[in-house]
Amino acid sequence: MTPVVSIEDLHTDIALRRGVAHPVSGVSFTVNKGETLGVVGESGCGKTMTVLSIMRLLPPGGHISRGHIRFSDTDLAALEEDGMRAVRGTRVGMIFQDPMTSLNPCMTIGDQVAETVLLHRKVTRAQARQRAEEVLELVGLPRARERLDSYPHLLSGGMRQRVVIAMALACEPELLIADEPTTALDVTIQKQILRLIDELRARLGMAVILVTHDLGVVAGHTDRVAVMYAGKIVETSSTRELFANPRHPYTEALFRALPENVERDRALYAIPGLPPDLSNPPPGCRFAPRCGYATPECRAEEPKLTGDRHPFACFHPLGKAGQTAANPPAQPPRAQQGAPLLEVRNLVREFPVNSNGVLRRRIGTVSAVSDVSFGVRAGETFGLVGESGCGKSTVGRLLVADDAPTSGSITFAGTQITGQPQRALRELRRDFQLMFQDPYASLDPRMRVRSILREPLAIQRRGSAAEQERAVATLLDEVGLPRAALEKYPHEFSGGQRQRIGLARALALRPKLIVADEPVSALDVSVQAQILNLMRALQREYDLTYVFISHDLSVVRYIATTIGVMYLGKLVEIGPAEQVHATPVHPYTRGLIDSIPLADPEREQRKGQAGVRGELPSAFNPPSGCRFRTRCRLATEICAEEAPAMRRFSEQGQQAACHHPLRAAL
Amino acid sequence: MTRFILRRLLQSLVVVLLVTVIVFILLHLLPGGPARAQLGPKATAMAIANFNHQQGYDRPLLVQYWRWLTELATGNLGFSVSLNQSVLSLIGERLPKTLVLTVLSTLFALVVAIPLGVVQAVRRNRAADYMITFWAFVFYATPPFFLGVVLIVVFSVYLPILPAEAPQSSSLRVILSQPAGLILPVLTLALLTIAQFSRYMRSSVIENLAEDYVRTARSKGAGESVVLVRHVLRNSLIPIATLLGLSLPAIFSGALITEAVFNFPGMGQLFWTAAQTQDYPIMLGITVLVGLATVIGSLLADLAYAVLDPRVRFA
Repeated sequence: MTPVVSIEDLHTDIALRRGVAHPVSGVSFTVNKGETLGVVGESGCGKTMTVLSIMRLLPPGGHISRGHIRFSDTDLAALEEDGMRAVRGTRVGMIFQDPMTSLNPCMTIGDQVAETVLLHRKVTRAQARQRAEEVLELVGLPRARERLDSYPHLLSGGMRQRVVIAMALACEPELLIADEPTTALDVTIQKQILRLIDELRARLGMAVILVTHDLGVVAGHTDRVAVMYAGKIVETSSTRELFANPRHPYTEALFRALPENVERDRALYAIPGLPPDLSNPPPGCRFAPRCGYATPECRAEEPKLTGDRHPFACFHPLGKAGQTAANPPAQPPRAQQGAPLLEVRNLVREFPVNSNGVLRRRIGTVSAVSDVSFGVRAGETFGLVGESGCGKSTVGRLLVADDAPTSGSITFAGTQITGQPQRALRELRRDFQLMFQDPYASLDPRMRVRSILREPLAIQRRGSAAEQERAVATLLDEVGLPRAALEKYPHEFSGGQRQRIGLARALALRPKLIVADEPVSALDVSVQAQILNLMRALQREYDLTYVFISHDLSVVRYIATTIGVMYLGKLVEIGPAEQVHATPVHPYTRGLIDSIPLADPEREQRKGQAGVRGELPSAFNPPSGCRFRTRCRLATEICAEEAPAMRRFSEQGQQAACHHPLRAAL
Repeated sequence: MTRFILRRLLQSLVVVLLVTVIVFILLHLLPGGPARAQLGPKATAMAIANFNHQQGYDRPLLVQYWRWLTELATGNLGFSVSLNQSVLSLIGERLPKTLVLTVLSTLFALVVAIPLGVVQAVRRNRAADYMITFWAFVFYATPPFFLGVVLIVVFSVYLPILPAEAPQSSSLRVILSQPAGLILPVLTLALLTIAQFSRYMRSSVIENLAEDYVRTARSKGAGESVVLVRHVLRNSLIPIATLLGLSLPAIFSGALITEAVFNFPGMGQLFWTAAQTQDYPIMLGITVLVGLATVIGSLLADLAYAVLDPRVRFA
């Protein structure tokens, strides 16, 4: 095996207004030809700074203070800028996280791919364009030739990421660095892009560094893994070995925080505390303050990364798999009998699309939600899943009367919400609240936590000022924040803490129903575990009903009692969570489940090519008949002609709308 | 695209008409009136009534407006009694001169301000940036009458290399044949505009330099000059396009104060004279012109957007 890049004792500093942060302190690894190294860790652990150091594209104030980056015969850490430019794009290519922003909006994709070639090779414009077309075909951009002159905004996220990959590969680099290449994409598209990177690596014989926070992505698409924590590699080995036998407590904690392996009657393991401040890291082992196994030795002395085939940096390594403590029990949400608290009947939401003419004629409709019906009983959690653009958030907004349906009805606790005048809705809103995905964007940055939490009480004139103050204090206790938080502003908190504030705000009026729209999608896995545990505990205490909207079936399987799967405005499958997850009936549900990367190399390998092909069609003039048919492997003529009706598939209430279900209907 | 432009132009006409109505009413609310201004403070009530009758100023406002509007439809902007000349020919005489002044200064400002803003963004928070920022604020904060006088003192009095007054002639050719006389007024206007544009350019470039696509370009091996010229510049010019569109009315209405300081026979000076004599036809004529310039300017800004930013396309 010839190492393509070999990093030795890399230290990177970033000068901040106050002091210096050390996001990379003493990182060493090698990547061989034809091999993928996964660099995994939570946000802020230094993984992106490590790869940006290799590219020498550190943010302002950043520089490599020590160490070597040996890339064939040159040390990139010591190369001048001119020499480095000759390496970037030719010998090392890079793919970034967000394809929506990593392309120049004012330049055609053909020009952007051709630019890489023009910068490095002595070719004519026509030749560069020719090469751009070849590479775009290589990365699977359909109708590449026609699309050379398209601007990025005309392409979907997945297609844009293919363009970014094409740019990185145009000069056939020896090393490809992919920094969270699929984090911004839907899981079905994620699967396609990761598979593409695998294929290209094999075909071009590149070395690949895949940076990700997702253990599932690492499991299925890497040969070796390096786990980073607080600027250091804490454990590294072959992927199989690491997943079979994690030695470092941090690696174990990451595994235990994943909802996918946890039974629904167990709590998730949440790593206590926060990652350390990297301008002033703790002495000794940097994970010690959050580690359940730490001893005074760990806090005094720093463990070195030692070992031959499977090095780790820990004084108290874990032994064989299965030795770890079981997760503490937690009461699963109760599936309750009786009349539903929330009843949704034939819900339709269409958005008119008008022409730009003087008369603004209506030229069509976007069918965001089409004939969706379901019921949610008091005290249960209804999980609504689907890809972005499937209409799940629109349903969420309709449920809390933030938007009015085109037709259909929503009944809440016996009262029909739809068609109520604003005055009556104001009363009703006490009982249903919304919790948002991005707690940073959804909290007013100029309001202190005290005012944020008091506002709902003040609007609804709940109690005297003193009573409201007491209620706010209680709320903070309930969501596990210190009283000192009252005087702070949202930006002074971490993402997880902000989501706790979001939850407290939703709870302020003691609602019966909380509609949570992707409440944990922006959070790291350990923080996600904290929030999910908290939501569960509060549910039991206050007999809350949740509608939990998420793209992540693993999370929904864990938290929900009932799952509804949406596809392009339609509810395609609904039923008890375990049943839908274990034995789905609709081909889309099956594909969605197969697309989720599992933190288990063996199972990932067995899944192989399964998933969902193609991309979500537009909800403007959606496909006739079954809307999923354009991406379905089982589709026949009838699927185009007739929209399938909901049929029952189990005594427990599993239903699906499909002409070719994966098992027979009752 | 054509349909979009036609629709916008139609909307613009409505806007300009509304503006004329408002100006018409406001003008007639002014105390004094054109008769008093024209005939002097000693004019008898009889003479004033006569004048008003002659000019039709004693008719109901609505009738006057309608008459003015029908004349406008035939291309007649009215006659200025005080200057004894038709408004159209007055504007035709003054506008080219003002355009020479304002267009030159705007172009000069763009040529200087865009590179300045880029340099500032690249050298952000370093000596060059602070220096340019300092001078930008100095010029931004200096009123043109003061700046103009300072320039005259420096370049016409201490080092007498430039004339203190703009060339005085009714002919554009004469004015253009003495370009030295244009330098100081153009410079006065340009310094202010440079100060403004360079600030916008600086923040726009800084914003774009932090964008992900810039990092992508660097990761391809593009050098800083390529990153700036090929990637950042076009994206950064988008806000400047709006700014330019919005400055079109100022380009047409002329620079009231600067023209006064340099005694430049342009639109600003014409408006000033008309306002003093309460010459309704001239003021209305200029209002129509500036109104049109405003709506066309914002239309042009929108079109420039579409050219610069492919995400904006008109159906």
